[in-house]
Amino acid sequence: MKNRLSIVIGSGGVLCAASLGLYKALRREGLTPGMAVGCSGGSIYAATIALGMDPDEAQRLTLNLFTSDVFEGYTSNLKSALSGETRFTEMSSLIDDNIMYERLRSVFAEKTFEDTVFPLHIVATNLYTGERVVISSGSILDAIRASIAIPMIFSPWKIGDQMLVDGAVCDPLPIDVAIRQGSDVIAAVGFEMPTRKRMNSYTAVTTHFNSLYMNNILKSTFAFYNAVHHAEIIPILPDFEKPVGTFDTQQIPYIIEQGERAAEEHIPYIKQLLLETK
Amino acid sequence: MNTRKKKIALVIGAGSVKCAAALGLWKVLEKEEIHFDMIVGCSGGSLYAASMALGFTLDESVAKTKSLWNKSVTEKRNWRGLLSAVLPGLFGFNEKFSIIDDSRMLTRLRDVFGEKTFADAHIPLTLMATDFFNGESIALCEGKIVDAIRASIAIPYIWPAWERNGRLLIDGGAANPLPVDVAIREGADIILAIGFQSPFPSKIRSVSRYSFHINSLLTNNLYGANFAFHNAVHHAEIISIFPEFERPIRLFDTDQIPYVIEQGEKAMLEQLPYVKRLLEA
Repeated sequence: MKNRLSIVIGSGGVLCAASLGLYKALRREGLTPGMAVGCSGGSIYAATIALGMDPDEAQRLTLNLFTSDVFEGYTSNLKSALSGETRFTEMSSLIDDNIMYERLRSVFAEKTFEDTVFPLHIVATNLYTGERVVISSGSILDAIRASIAIPMIFSPWKIGDQMLVDGAVCDPLPIDVAIRQGSDVIAAVGFEMPTRKRMNSYTAVTTHFNSLYMNNILKSTFAFYNAVHHAEIIPILPDFEKPVGTFDTQQIPYIIEQGERAAEEHIPYIKQLLLETK
Repeated sequence: MNTRKKKIALVIGAGSVKCAAALGLWKVLEKEEIHFDMIVGCSGGSLYAASMALGFTLDESVAKTKSLWNKSVTEKRNWRGLLSAVLPGLFGFNEKFSIIDDSRMLTRLRDVFGEKTFADAHIPLTLMATDFFNGESIALCEGKIVDAIRASIAIPYIWPAWERNGRLLIDGGAANPLPVDVAIREGADIILAIGFQSPFPSKIRSVSRYSFHINSLLTNNLYGANFAFHNAVHHAEIISIFPEFERPIRLFDTDQIPYVIEQGEKAMLEQLPYVKRLLEA
């Protein structure tokens, strides 16, 4: 019965830290999840939780993942790519991933899926077919790197013989991974990507378009999973009164607080469900 | 016993040139004297949905398609738009950015559909677009047909967004690539849904092709998710017609249209006995 409660963390950049708030609220009540599923930014937090890290430790470790130096070279790379000065292929990126990769390595080092205290699944997308790829073995660092490969910003990542990009391209809130693994109660933390009112650059337009599509996929997949699921799905949708940028790590403590608040409302219901399904 | 005539809807999904397969489907049903009570079109599908609803003949529609969607329509690059992507400050980049200039396409659309409005349609017609700012699916069923088609086919990156009644609209495929829900809501009993996977660029050699590639992946996943949901919760009978193409059909491969129509015909023929059974039941 160890799969009864699972946490699914959808894509949402730094907002995914809200899942630590959920985890805190669950732990306080003595509720332990039996599985974690993560997509894109959510894969970072799903991994920290599944590796048994304490929420405060996870908060500390992720506070400095995305500082401004991670994005160095972006503007000049974009200019030379758009003007045709440098060749841009599907393997190219606007940001050199060295700094980001080293940051992730400092958190996850050589950890593999075997080191987790309960099963972990990380979702990425096949760059050529758009199909979903669920990663459940091997290096956690590799899986996260693939799952957060935001199109155009970071280069795709090869695992085995597949070239992978951001999991949000296929399934921004992969609830059915938990359903298929036999979970009864699924706490799903999901986020809509920010859209824009004004666009004054090419990348602003691409991020806006990607957000529109991802939000629509999020709604459609959620509607579908909700309509046909057999497990109980509890959506945890934190409220943010102030705008939080995708990589605004300084806001992490506030984000976690909001996640905790959103989760607390659902704790009694989760407890009741877990009693019923025992 | 239910003697009420069953309402049949045709839904033509997004799919650029592949949407011409709807003409093959139409060919088969015309022969059987099966007529539609409503037609819904999205993106490339809006061209065919409008032609059918306005009462063009099959041959007319084939001929008109060739003038609407061909290489010359796409030849005119939007140089100012491309420059604005590189030097946004100097060339005033904004959300109406596109790679291709839309003036030729607009002229062609006006040649074919003139001043026709939705009120001129013989069969109730709905064309789908997406709100550029919030991504909501928008069903268009009044006003000028040209306006609605232009909005519905505003493929991100390729054509500029289109303003209609103060609202900026793009490709219907960005919210609802195969809009069967419109037919469900309008009370159709039998829904023929013809849907397509979006094509990928043959090679990714530039930032804009990369963006377009990712867009195709997203559209296909949205298409799958949407259709799964509509299929799971519908009350009407949805007959999906997914023509098979053995060779890749890219965005502007209009010389493939005869082949595309043939494949549409084949796919419809496979489903025909079932459609007839439903109509008789």
